[in-house]
Amino acid sequence: MENTQNILVFATNIRTNNDKQLISQTLNEISEIHQWNIDQEDIDCVLRIVSKTLSEEQIINIVKRHNFNCTPLD
Amino acid sequence: MRTRDTNKEDVVKQKAIEMLVKYGIEGFGMNRLAKESGVSVATLYIYYTDKDDLIKKIGTEIGQAFFSEMIKDFSPTMSFKEGLRKQWENRARFALKNPLKVACWEALSHSSYRDSLLEESLAEFKSAMWHFIENAFERKELLPISIEVFWSVAYGPLYALLRFENEGKSFNGMPFKLTQEKMDEAFELVIKALTP
Repeated sequence: MENTQNILVFATNIRTNNDKQLISQTLNEISEIHQWNIDQEDIDCVLRIVSKTLSEEQIINIVKRHNFNCTPLD
Repeated sequence: MRTRDTNKEDVVKQKAIEMLVKYGIEGFGMNRLAKESGVSVATLYIYYTDKDDLIKKIGTEIGQAFFSEMIKDFSPTMSFKEGLRKQWENRARFALKNPLKVACWEALSHSSYRDSLLEESLAEFKSAMWHFIENAFERKELLPISIEVFWSVAYGPLYALLRFENEGKSFNGMPFKLTQEKMDEAFELVIKALTP
């Protein structure tokens, strides 16, 4: 079972497969990200990150660098 | 800090099953589920990675509950009649106690989730049922028929009766109650049809 404290979820506009490809290389390369996925069926294109070390802010910065929106979900 | 609340998770599961039955897989969405079960979307995504993951986990859980109930007090070495009666009892008990779960399972097992669900939930049950039928063939307690015909004749009447019971009525809106007598009556006819 994943430790729930290490799961971060964000609303994004990573909507298309193309969008996903743009960001996936970056996310795959970050070794601190243990696992990630985007639910593109969801209206908020929820990005889910499992990481022991990265903060919400760090993730937001990474995603925004690719010109996507990224807002933490409460 | 977000923590996992098992009560909340049970509410989510229950709601998800209701919604899958009511709206189908296509009409089912994470946002709607969050709203209807009173949790935030974020919480939902803590439990499940996405809609696909949620449907698979819920389906597998139902499947495992279903199949473990079916092999309760059942042994593949039982005589054909005794074993089939146990199957009827177990299936009827589960279906009457969990009509929503059964409806959800029906919906999922006729969808693209079928293969992954059956693989996860079914292995032990499948092997027990195969042994049971092989034994029945060997002892000549069962006519040599194909597995599809066997299944249809063996369980078709039971599931038809359970459907009447669930609806509470039969033809022309006549009230219907599934009694032990009716079950026994149908079961005896099934045995008559399947045994040499």
